[in-house]
Amino acid sequence: MLPTKRFKTFAISLYAGVPLAENTVTATALTPFVLRRGTSATPETIAFRERLDNMYGTGFGFDVYKRGDAQIVQFRLDVIHDQYVSSSVSLLQSALALLGEVLTSPAMEPGVDHAFRSKYVQAEKQTLQQRLEAIINDKIRYAAERCLEEMCAGEPYRFHALGQIADLAAIHERSLYESYRTWLDRACFDLYVVGDTTLSEVQEMVASAFRAGDGQPAVYSKPAAGSHVSEVKTVVERMDVSQGKLNMGLRTRTTYADDQYAAMLMYNGILGGYPHSKLFMNVREKASLAYYAASRYDGIKGLCSIQSGIEIANFERASHIIQQQLESMRKGELSELEMSQTKAMIVNHLREMQDSAFEMIAYDFNSILTGRERSAQELMREVQAVEADDIVRVADDVVLDTIYFLRDGKEGGEQ
Amino acid sequence: MRQLHYPHINETLYHGTLPNGLQVYILPKEGFQKTYATFSTRFGSIDNRFSIGEEPPVQVLDGIAHFLEHKMFEEPTGDIFATFASQGASANAFTSFDRTAYLFSATEYIDQNLRTLLDFVQHPYFTDENVDKEKGIIEQEINMYKDNADWRVYTGIIEALYEKHPVHIDIAGSVESIRQITKESLYTCYNTFYHPSNMLLFVVGGVEPEQVMQLVRDNQAAKTFPELGEIRRYFEPEPQGVRKQRLEMKLPVSLPKCMIGIKDKQPVADAQELQRQDIVTKLLLDVLLGQSSQLYQSLYDDRLISDSFGYEFNSGNGYSFSIFGGETRSPDELLDRVKQAVNEVREQGVSASDFERTRRKRIGNYLRMLNSPESIANEFTRHKFRGGDLFELLPIYESITLEEVNERLRTHFDWEQSAISIVCRESQ
Repeated sequence: MLPTKRFKTFAISLYAGVPLAENTVTATALTPFVLRRGTSATPETIAFRERLDNMYGTGFGFDVYKRGDAQIVQFRLDVIHDQYVSSSVSLLQSALALLGEVLTSPAMEPGVDHAFRSKYVQAEKQTLQQRLEAIINDKIRYAAERCLEEMCAGEPYRFHALGQIADLAAIHERSLYESYRTWLDRACFDLYVVGDTTLSEVQEMVASAFRAGDGQPAVYSKPAAGSHVSEVKTVVERMDVSQGKLNMGLRTRTTYADDQYAAMLMYNGILGGYPHSKLFMNVREKASLAYYAASRYDGIKGLCSIQSGIEIANFERASHIIQQQLESMRKGELSELEMSQTKAMIVNHLREMQDSAFEMIAYDFNSILTGRERSAQELMREVQAVEADDIVRVADDVVLDTIYFLRDGKEGGEQ
Repeated sequence: MRQLHYPHINETLYHGTLPNGLQVYILPKEGFQKTYATFSTRFGSIDNRFSIGEEPPVQVLDGIAHFLEHKMFEEPTGDIFATFASQGASANAFTSFDRTAYLFSATEYIDQNLRTLLDFVQHPYFTDENVDKEKGIIEQEINMYKDNADWRVYTGIIEALYEKHPVHIDIAGSVESIRQITKESLYTCYNTFYHPSNMLLFVVGGVEPEQVMQLVRDNQAAKTFPELGEIRRYFEPEPQGVRKQRLEMKLPVSLPKCMIGIKDKQPVADAQELQRQDIVTKLLLDVLLGQSSQLYQSLYDDRLISDSFGYEFNSGNGYSFSIFGGETRSPDELLDRVKQAVNEVREQGVSASDFERTRRKRIGNYLRMLNSPESIANEFTRHKFRGGDLFELLPIYESITLEEVNERLRTHFDWEQSAISIVCRESQ
């Protein structure tokens, strides 16, 4: 609960996390799709959505993603502060009540025990399947996900957060309900509210909206360390595309839980986090090889990845320039200017976060995921204190694992 | 400097017009860490034929506004991103149909960042060499969009709807058109559209309005700009009907993507009317196609649409159209079903309860948007450039009547004026 008067709305976020595992990944992914169709009190989807509309268009959405080796289901609500509208009941209370219903009191098949509404399960299975099939449509994202999938072939992290198409056929309204009950029992639940209210007010509303069990709250476990890299894996996939996508997956030994986290943020920032970074400057500005060339660091899993879109014929050249930048990081070729610019950008980002309720929530959730408490202020201080030597030390442990190239050729191609 | 109070949304806006014509708007947001500023020119992809004062009209190449946007970031001292980075600011820019915006967000060194923003946009630096170098980068940007099915189906529908109006031309231009761009043509556009009298600065965040205004005033007073005659934009007359009823493209996608578009026969010219029509049409689309409509649910149940289904209304100087669509197993069946359902509503009229519920939802969305400095700055500029006021929308929402919505439904949803754009794989 973060009380603030900055916003015209209340932001509500509920996280539910379970370990990524082959036998549960698909059912877990499907669950929020079915839950969003309606509740026992408002079982018809249209009526359910009208309820949201009548609460001044309360935003309601969900997401399923991976954080470390956990599969997270997140529900989000964004509801107008009563001050701006003429509402007879507290919109925050109505929103929490609705979220409580969605989570604990779903629409059931009439006359059948322990089964979701069959119609919803069938429809949402279709939706999920289409989503999984549609991953291929966005080539930038597809290439990024394929690269990590290849890189983590032996780890739970290889699974897509939305699960696997092959599992869907066996799922039905009873089995899914059973999976859902187990999920409710075992998942780590964390509820956040940001807005102009108090903890005690929210606690009261939550107590009446959620039928919380009396078991011990679950906690997240540390992600498995990746396998040792003996040789760089190169994967080329062919598809009918105009532009080649060159991606690289890197292993780091640093996560959010580590003291070197700030140094690793600096590493990624200097390498490819910004338009002043080495990748952008060398691949795009100097060589004109790409429109985008960037890196991303996943501090929960401890992976770093590189993305670029290039002329297909320039694969060797671009790959060479990118690897030169990695080498340059290892050698500690870090200018004062790169250091100060990157620090300023990271600190600015951490400050800007305070202006978005959902970003503040997402940041705080890192501490739940990793068990490491670190306020944004602390992280800013740590980033300011990073020296070039600290970056070289983490750079020493950054290893190129997989090179993935999506290029033209026959559709479907070799896989 | 004027103060404008908007009590119903609890905001106060500060406005001033500088001697050189620049419009400055400042919105202080108490408690916000960040300052977000946009410096925008009324120059977008549709402004490809224009004149100044009594000079003869000039025709420019497709994609030049966007090319110019790219090139502004280069200064003799290097890339301006680096300067912003040294001041802890993230900078960016975008080009749309009718404007180009340069922006930054920062939590520190606000004064320096504001000066950097004003100075780099008011200092063009184009050479034959740096213009040439940019062509490689923009070619890759164009190629990236070529592979993007959502973008292709979107630009496809506008191309199907419009024949003469330049709204149908891709914002980035084509590989062929951008190859012909020269530094001279960039300067022609720059000297016309980047005059302060054609531009608007919007600053929002935890700022002191007087101080920001003084900074901008001083910065502008130190620069001289030649007098600029009136800018005239020329558009060939657009035929009433659609250009093509159907446009199909092939890309490797899992399911066909489709967009259905409806073109208004007569675009509205009056600013007040344009703003009202914008709101009424968006509300109407929500009633007909929103997630809580009967139609949406039945299309979803029959697997004709997915969560990717969306709709929008877009209008500007000489164009005005609605589009809707997404992934579908059958574009033609989707079109038939929508036609049939909309025709039924058109006969019976929108119900009062659907109307009220949707109005509430739109008001909620509007208020939610006001949490975001980015949305405020961008939406405010968009409305202002067409003569409207973002902060006056609430009273409009409240004054809209059911009759107005029904009237719009009757005039806008004319299926003679519709087209469909489809992206599917070879075998589909």
